[in-house]
Amino acid sequence: MEELYEMEELYEILNELQPGVDYETADDLVDGHVLHSLTILALVAELEDSFDITIPAVEIIPENFNSAAAMGNMIERLQKGDWQ
Amino acid sequence: MTLSALLYGGKVDQLTSFFSLEFLAIFFPAALLLYGVVPKKCKPYVLLAESYVFVWLISGKLIVFLLLATLLIHYCGLWLDRLQINMRQALAEGESDARKVIRAHFTAKQRGVIALAVVLLIGTLLALKYSAFFAGNVNTLLSLFPVTLRLQVPQHLLPIGISFFTLQALSYILDVYRGTTKADDNLPRLALFLAFFPQIVEGPICRYHQTANALWNAGSIRFENLTQGLQRILFGMLKKIVIADRLDPLVKTVFSNHEAYDGAVIAVAAVCYTIQLYMDFSGAMDAVVGIAQIIGVSMPENFSRPFFSKTISEFWMRWHITLGTWFKDYVFYPITASKGMKKLTKRSRKTLGNHYGPLAAGSVALFCVWFCNGLWHGAAWNYLFFGMYHFVLILGGSLLTPVVRWLQRVLRIDPEQWWYRTLQMLRTTVLVIIGELFFRAHGLLAGLQMFERLLTDFSLQPLTDETWVDLGVDRYDLWIVAITLLLILFVSVYNEKGVSLRDHLSKKKRIFRWAVLYALIVYIVVFGAYGFGYAPVDPLYAQF
Repeated sequence: MEELYEMEELYEILNELQPGVDYETADDLVDGHVLHSLTILALVAELEDSFDITIPAVEIIPENFNSAAAMGNMIERLQKGDWQ
Repeated sequence: MTLSALLYGGKVDQLTSFFSLEFLAIFFPAALLLYGVVPKKCKPYVLLAESYVFVWLISGKLIVFLLLATLLIHYCGLWLDRLQINMRQALAEGESDARKVIRAHFTAKQRGVIALAVVLLIGTLLALKYSAFFAGNVNTLLSLFPVTLRLQVPQHLLPIGISFFTLQALSYILDVYRGTTKADDNLPRLALFLAFFPQIVEGPICRYHQTANALWNAGSIRFENLTQGLQRILFGMLKKIVIADRLDPLVKTVFSNHEAYDGAVIAVAAVCYTIQLYMDFSGAMDAVVGIAQIIGVSMPENFSRPFFSKTISEFWMRWHITLGTWFKDYVFYPITASKGMKKLTKRSRKTLGNHYGPLAAGSVALFCVWFCNGLWHGAAWNYLFFGMYHFVLILGGSLLTPVVRWLQRVLRIDPEQWWYRTLQMLRTTVLVIIGELFFRAHGLLAGLQMFERLLTDFSLQPLTDETWVDLGVDRYDLWIVAITLLLILFVSVYNEKGVSLRDHLSKKKRIFRWAVLYALIVYIVVFGAYGFGYAPVDPLYAQF
């Protein structure tokens, strides 16, 4: 249940930063130029605040931001203190 | 081949062009034949030897820079790997309260190794490529003061591809440090990753995980790969020989003697140069991808139909993609993800909101990216101006985004409507062409003068047949360029829609496929700009 709550919160954050995208299905947010560098900066700051994590530069790669699911996985990893 | 290669070291710079007779008729078939006939276990070594012969023939003894860079990153990579293993061991054995100290100790050591590699690699590049620019500018400054002291302006020869293999070498060592790539103890594999002959001239700038193992394990030449690869090379040849080289006389004439021409001619030359650069560079990339495809290796694409971009920011995601992602991964995000910048982003988001907040840290990082991007292209003020021009356009675009969205709402404009997207593409193209004018100009002053002429001395009157002939082209040239551009536009429109005409063609009957291929060859042979009356044109990006 914890994970579901996080995903809902993640969808909220994404919709606030960049509305008009179906984040439940989109899987090319970076590769498809939906999220730009500056939006990702805001997203990184918001994710760090909301989920109490630190996202190092090495984690800011398209694979971790192309979909909400990938972001969820990254958050989970970082919450466990497991860097790439 | 080996003996003659030794004799001709540094004397065959025609090989930098994949469409030169020397490359296409001699080096490439010989290299392919040799690669094809040796046993599988020898293939990577043959590929490496061929790559070194290629660099030797173009750069001669300057090959030593490539060899030293390879040895340096191999050694530093293994050093980092050893430190990381030691750190994990110490963390596993150490008390939990000592872990922070252990991590800090080993991180500092690893950073020392990174600093060594960066200083040596970037230092070499700076010394060879930028010392003359630096000394020249210092001397200009000194001349303003009553001192006789002057720096000697060094004139260094540049080894082929140094700007490309330096970035590629840095990406490997930084990825090992970050833990995203494992250090390679196989020196020849790492050497092949850096030196692979088609890619060393103009890129693409590959990451270790993209090509190192693929090149090392590349197998026999399969018929399907051979035909697909040759098709791609032919398409690149069409761009380079029929369009880029045909426009070269006009571009050269106007840019070398810009004072003699008014705004309309300068505008035409700027448009032609933009087309020439795109066709030249993307044509060379088609050749690189095609050659790699023949041996079954997939190279990263460097272009994705950039002139369909709606903004400058999008343009740079589609043009010279591997350089853009390099700067994004190793300059932009490390700066914005640093502690100080994150604090700045968090603070500014509270006061300026989600859009303008990240711009504070983002603009610092963006400035660094475009400063480096401009300087990477060359040691001259017009390249720096080119970088700053795009920095201002991208930052300005981000600043204006909320205003534009508001206007779209108020004026009830759907941004997805075809006419609106077309206008956005046209605006982006015009801005790109202006940037390329400064990029190609003989110095910043010349660029500014040409731009001024565009605004103050513009009339369509000089564009008569006589002017074209004076500029080195005639009506026949322009028709050929226009028709070929339409052909490429046709292919690009389909690609943009996600339809691959090549895949479509491969499903057709053999006779049809070969007919298309032969038609393309005949078209290039008949309409290519080569032979009598045409000087061979060096690849434009090889000089960077």
